[in-house]
Amino acid sequence: MRIAIDRLAVAYDDRRVIDGLSLTIDPGTIFTLLGPSGCGKTTLLRAIAGFVPVAAGRILFGETDVARLPAHRRNIGMVFQDYALFPDKTVFENVAYGLRARRTDDAAVRRRVGEALDRVGLGAFADRLPAALSGGQRQRVALVRALVIQPDVLLMDEPLSNLDSKLRHQVRETISELQREAGITTVFVTHDQDEALAMSDRIGVMNAGRLEQVGAPAEIYRTPHTAYVADFIGAANILSADLAAPAAAGATVRLAIGGRHVGAVCPQPLPAGPVRIVVRPEDIAMAPADGATDEMLSARVVRRHYLGAKTGYAVTLTDGTRITIDVSGPDHDRFATGDSVAVRIDPSRALAIAP
Amino acid sequence: MRLDLRSIWVWLSFAMLALLGVFLVYPVANIFLASLGGPGRGEGWAIVFGDPRYLRAIANTLLLGTAVTLAAMGVGVPLAYLTARYDYPGKAIVSILPLVTLVTPEVIVAQTWLMMLGNNGLIRRWLLEHGVVLPSFYGWFGLTTSMTFIYYTYAYIGTLAAIRGFDVQLEEAARSLGSSPVRARLRVLVPVVLPAILASALLIFTLVVGNFALSMILGGRVELLSVKTYQAAVSETTSNPVLQSTLASVSISIVMIVLFAQRWIVSRGRFEIVQGRVARPSRLRGVMALGFAAAASLVVVVSLLPLAAVVAGAFTVSRGPVMRWGQWTTANIDRVLSRSPEPLYNTMTYAGAATAIAIVLSALIGYLIVRRRNAVTPLIDYITALPLALSGTALGIGLIHAFNTGWITLTGTAAIIVLAYVIRRLPFGLRNASSTLYNIPRSLEEASISLGVPPGRTFLKVILPLMAPALAAAAVLTWTTTVAELSTSIIVYSGGRETIPIQIFKLIEGGLMAQASAYGLVLVAVILAPIVVATRIFRIDLFASRA
Ligand SMILES: Nc1ncnc2c1ncn2[C@@H]1O[C@H](COP(=O)(O)OP(=O)(O)O)[C@@H](O)[C@H]1O
Ligand SMILES: [Mg+2]
Repeated sequence: MRIAIDRLAVAYDDRRVIDGLSLTIDPGTIFTLLGPSGCGKTTLLRAIAGFVPVAAGRILFGETDVARLPAHRRNIGMVFQDYALFPDKTVFENVAYGLRARRTDDAAVRRRVGEALDRVGLGAFADRLPAALSGGQRQRVALVRALVIQPDVLLMDEPLSNLDSKLRHQVRETISELQREAGITTVFVTHDQDEALAMSDRIGVMNAGRLEQVGAPAEIYRTPHTAYVADFIGAANILSADLAAPAAAGATVRLAIGGRHVGAVCPQPLPAGPVRIVVRPEDIAMAPADGATDEMLSARVVRRHYLGAKTGYAVTLTDGTRITIDVSGPDHDRFATGDSVAVRIDPSRALAIAP
Repeated sequence: MRLDLRSIWVWLSFAMLALLGVFLVYPVANIFLASLGGPGRGEGWAIVFGDPRYLRAIANTLLLGTAVTLAAMGVGVPLAYLTARYDYPGKAIVSILPLVTLVTPEVIVAQTWLMMLGNNGLIRRWLLEHGVVLPSFYGWFGLTTSMTFIYYTYAYIGTLAAIRGFDVQLEEAARSLGSSPVRARLRVLVPVVLPAILASALLIFTLVVGNFALSMILGGRVELLSVKTYQAAVSETTSNPVLQSTLASVSISIVMIVLFAQRWIVSRGRFEIVQGRVARPSRLRGVMALGFAAAASLVVVVSLLPLAAVVAGAFTVSRGPVMRWGQWTTANIDRVLSRSPEPLYNTMTYAGAATAIAIVLSALIGYLIVRRRNAVTPLIDYITALPLALSGTALGIGLIHAFNTGWITLTGTAAIIVLAYVIRRLPFGLRNASSTLYNIPRSLEEASISLGVPPGRTFLKVILPLMAPALAAAAVLTWTTTVAELSTSIIVYSGGRETIPIQIFKLIEGGLMAQASAYGLVLVAVILAPIVVATRIFRIDLFASRA
């Protein structure tokens, strides 16, 4: 089922938290809302679910505008951060709850709940109370409970953030598999960029109630449109530079930085003047100072983190700008703190964006 | 906040508001309005403030409130401190004290003191035989003594909860900064615990001001506000509604002022206490231990005395007012159970109805206030706190005046007694209901709704079962307090509708202590039965949401 949000506005006591947001989510895909705490992810999700009233705009599930439909009639599945399992009902009764509300006959309930629990390896736990399960098991029950009713859309609000990192990976896998099997349109909320990159078909990066950029994970990571997105997704160096002449979208430009010129790509048209260069730590090469070429900037190593597969360095340029660089490959740990080095920013990987 | 007129909760809020408006706000407003009414406006206030007897009653009430508060704090606070911080012999029994006061109706306490120290009292006569003449127990002596030994439990419970919630680490931090242990304790503990102590002191003060049973039975010639108000309400000859209302207004005003002070203190006292480690009690030995144990047991003995006395009295032979101590009989109990059991039936019926109504209202109103806030719910919240400011006598006067005639006439019916019970217990039931609701995550409700169950059915299927233990506890507490209710019912009841406390009160006035004891014993049984069932069979923690 396609979800289309059209100029949506949501307000708490007349304060608009979301104002004029539009978004389309393709059927069967998993869409992640990513952003820092307080940016409005939960509010948007709860508006889709029907738990916060919509001040203006439309929310289409397929062709139907559900914006004014009460939550219990939207046929959604919802998974909560705190699992929200009914503590006084067994695992079986929790999962059966939505089917019973739909007046499914007893035999079908038993069969479908049994199958669903078996699918996530919890068939043996049907008679337990939620309190007797681990966090990961609880969230799996919650997931199954939401899916067993075959909802039109699945909504999840930070479902992994109460789990420790190992469980988080396991449950993440379970969610991805079940979502794909059911082919259900899913909106997933998180503030964790790794989670977003790993799980999503598309990501919407939110900032103060607006969608700052929407795109596939690689797109968001490789070509952030704004410094905000670049900074939020993955570690990024954001440097100031000057652009001599206006540039068209897709153009490669040369920018003055620290007395040298470096190349960068413009994903969007840019006027002349101050710009930002965004470059990931792994897209900067580092060489000993004596091997420097014209394209390289002089720098000095101020900090070094050995990380096994790679080494993270912090260096300062001659003008004092600080950059982080990840070096991998053989001898990635060969530089020491205090070394004079030369660094080269890969021009095809560096992005010039509006300041 | 908006009012969404499509929401059933908004309509339910309006319905509750209307209900509370008619049955609670109207009687209370009526009291104040009536006090201003009469032929010459403000007549009631002119009478009260022009008559030295009424002025004396007000002054005496304030004086008694102060004296009892100080004395009760003097007993309750040290006892709480000892219990929180030390182990001493017999400590276990001290912990049942809150329960003991809960199950002992005031009218029975009053009766016990009379049987022991009244003009014909057992202890008085025994001392007299040994040449010791006690001062009369009626009056200041009896009032302060009896009230102190009831109300100290509020000081005890309040202080204990505050000390237990206090983080020892704070104290250890102060000590590590170089203060001596005792100074460290006082410097750190006192400011944190003081708000709770002051709050319970003010609560005790309001209870004394509103106290009816002990004031009536043991007051003697000391003129007190609650007694004067009651006499004005029931007197056949000088039935003056304006005067009654004015006296009730005075009492309500005093209590309201004190309650506002209490709220202010509590709100200022919300220190950031991170629940840390609770202090481990240290073991006491030697003379200190014996001293503490002796002091604590004295308190325990005095607290338990009424229960013991009522059992003994119920089975003691009597002729008229004369008790033949040492001669046993079951005649008193027989009489209560077989020849005049109406008070027992009445009590159970009225309290049963009131408990059911109060619990349903508490669950619904609590849910509205906590979970379904709208423009109306804050008003409901305030109104439901109103009964806390009403002494039983004042409420009784409000009810008879409001429902005497007109399109809702309740005077002379059982309904007015049930209504009185419900109003008096509503704030407490509501407190239980809402504190448990705050602990039920909102996401549970949303999970149910998202699974396709509409909000109303979600409340019944998900929220109500989770509230059940707290509601059961509230039901038990409502039952135990309503079956013992006296001060309002004695004003609003009509012939043939006597409850057990009313019957006991009448028998005490007539000096028939053995029969009064028999009713007392039945009353205690009626109180204890659900407590035993709840705590033993259903394992419900009755005090979970007090503190
Ligand atoms: N029930 C509410 N009432 C008023 N303001 C709220 C409420 N819930 C959230 N907000 C505000 O709306 C904004 C967005 O919150 P939220 O959607 O919870 O963000 P996120 O989920 O991204 O952390 C925040 O500024 C928050 O303070
Ligand atoms: Mg959130």
